[in-house]
Amino acid sequence: MTPAILTLGAARVRVWQFGAPHPGQPPLLYLHGFEAHPGPAPFLIRLARQQEVWAPEHPGYGESSGFESIHDVTDLVLHYRRLIEHWGVGRVDLMGHSLGGMFAAEIAALCPHLVRRLVLVDAYGLWLDAHPAPDPFVMPAEALARAKFADPGWAGREPTTLPEDAAARAIARTGNLAAATKFMWPVADRGLARRLPFVHAPTLVVHGAADGLVPPAHAEAFARLIPAARVAMIPNAGHLPMVEQEDAFLAAVADPPR
Amino acid sequence: MKFHWFAEVTYPHLPADFRARGTPSWVTMPASLADPVKCGEMYRMFIRLMQQADRDGFDGLAVNEHHQTSFAVTPSPNLLAASLAGSTQNAAILVIGDSLALYNPPTRVAEEMAYLDCLSGGRLIAGFVFGTSMDSTFAYGFPPVEVRDRFHEARQLILRAWAERDPFVFNGRFTKLRYVNIWPRPVQAPPPIWVPGSGSVETWDLVTDHDYCYGHLSFSGLYSAKPMVDAYWEYVAQRGGNLNPHRMAFTQLICCADTDAAAEAQYAEAVRYFYRNNVQDPFLAPPGYTSLKSVQAIAANRKKGESKLSPEDRVRASKGEMSFWEYDEKGYIIAGTPERVRQRLRELATDLRIGQLIACLHMGDLPEDVAAHNTRLVGREVAPHLRDLWADQPDHWTPAVCRARAAELVA
Repeated sequence: MTPAILTLGAARVRVWQFGAPHPGQPPLLYLHGFEAHPGPAPFLIRLARQQEVWAPEHPGYGESSGFESIHDVTDLVLHYRRLIEHWGVGRVDLMGHSLGGMFAAEIAALCPHLVRRLVLVDAYGLWLDAHPAPDPFVMPAEALARAKFADPGWAGREPTTLPEDAAARAIARTGNLAAATKFMWPVADRGLARRLPFVHAPTLVVHGAADGLVPPAHAEAFARLIPAARVAMIPNAGHLPMVEQEDAFLAAVADPPR
Repeated sequence: MKFHWFAEVTYPHLPADFRARGTPSWVTMPASLADPVKCGEMYRMFIRLMQQADRDGFDGLAVNEHHQTSFAVTPSPNLLAASLAGSTQNAAILVIGDSLALYNPPTRVAEEMAYLDCLSGGRLIAGFVFGTSMDSTFAYGFPPVEVRDRFHEARQLILRAWAERDPFVFNGRFTKLRYVNIWPRPVQAPPPIWVPGSGSVETWDLVTDHDYCYGHLSFSGLYSAKPMVDAYWEYVAQRGGNLNPHRMAFTQLICCADTDAAAEAQYAEAVRYFYRNNVQDPFLAPPGYTSLKSVQAIAANRKKGESKLSPEDRVRASKGEMSFWEYDEKGYIIAGTPERVRQRLRELATDLRIGQLIACLHMGDLPEDVAAHNTRLVGREVAPHLRDLWADQPDHWTPAVCRARAAELVA
């Protein structure tokens, strides 16, 4: 599966495309999490049976460029607005994971005309004093594995676009995380809570019940703040339920938010 | 060569097993380990030592900024600098430096440095620093990818605030001010500017293009610095920059005593304390703080120096596991009689083309009387013998008034 490179203003965007257009079905735009784009992950390929899936890589990640002109989350929203308008499909269904969840919620709040349905998966973007998220940037590998997965045996086995060679992988991951700090450092809250009431799209908030990075209480908070939202908690899954519990995840999102 | 007196203001009363506890000495350093009364005693000691350094003929008194750490308990260097500016006569007040991104708005730096320049009668050296990752990104919370942009914008604002005679509008990305018009302006127009770095090529561009004094402020000595500093000078030459050695500052721990045996007896424990209790992990290298280009250049330069200083040496040094003379042999410290210290400093400064030596004459939990003796020996029996080094080249990077007074004292 070879991703396409498209040019968007001054930015180069690497995009994976899965499946073919379904009549009467808008495409699903998938926004990846804070560590890396997952590449042709099984869950994306299976999602593409229902509708065409587009999975772009964020500015500053991997081979996508244009990060210099993203000064804040508004610029990031406009980047994706431009991408959706470039495709000329009207509305999309929007699914965002982790940091991509923060982006998806921002897009849905600020550009409601572009989003038919919204799915947030273990999304960053809120801060709850009673349920503080740990600092993902200083965690040793072992602690990160325990926080990310219900079964830490998954560590290093998730689908990813990071290179296999350890040194190259460390460099590429550091580059990705550097971009993430723009939105997640020192606290992954850029004011999204004030904007969530402006989300029009029916929303499904999916969350791994054992997520040690974004505490599950954040899912409840998202659902309280978004006018039409419900929560689907995935048991035995951490921060990547679509990887760790692929079937349960797909079953949850197959019942679309209304 | 110029001699500047410096010490990290290290808290000297940590428990002996601190390192073994496995907690960092930065950012999340337990505050319960600091006795505020003892901090006050420590501050008064450093003021006394630096006032003495002024009398002993040092060219500058260096102060720096760190946050949330026992390694250097100087959250505002300008406060210590103010204590010195009003109570010393000749030496430059070397603020090395203010972490520009951390002052909001950055005109605060322009104001406080101007105050220091006025109070000292034009003796300020203005050091602008990015701040360590521990300071700027963890303690002060700025996203690592923004620190450099914030630094550069602040630097431009400060320089304009010093230079322009009329109020002006500053519409930056991070700072917006309708009326910039600081009171007072500095005596010097402007003070000499120093920018230390740790090998980032972006900083090399900055200091070369603006003819600032660069500083390699490590505590690992000649062999650690050699590949990096050589690469720096090559870079300057290629870019057509100024190769004057007075544009290069370097920090060196010095342990001077009447005999070599006395040096070991007086300094060995303090040196080990200094290295052992500086625990930066996991706050040293957040993603985005250093560019990929610079990470790779720094790693390559480290590799080049491995024949003289292996990665294992570095680990042992940082844990306080070297013997006193091994620290000396590996370049971390320069120890012994004034004669030996002179000779080794001459080799160091010649090898690295250093015109501004930042001599670290107190370290760790060293007693005040030893540091005072160190100051006297280096000021009176070492520095005068090294004044000839680079004397043929002009020094535009120390305040004119300090250079004039040093010349008067020699005459």
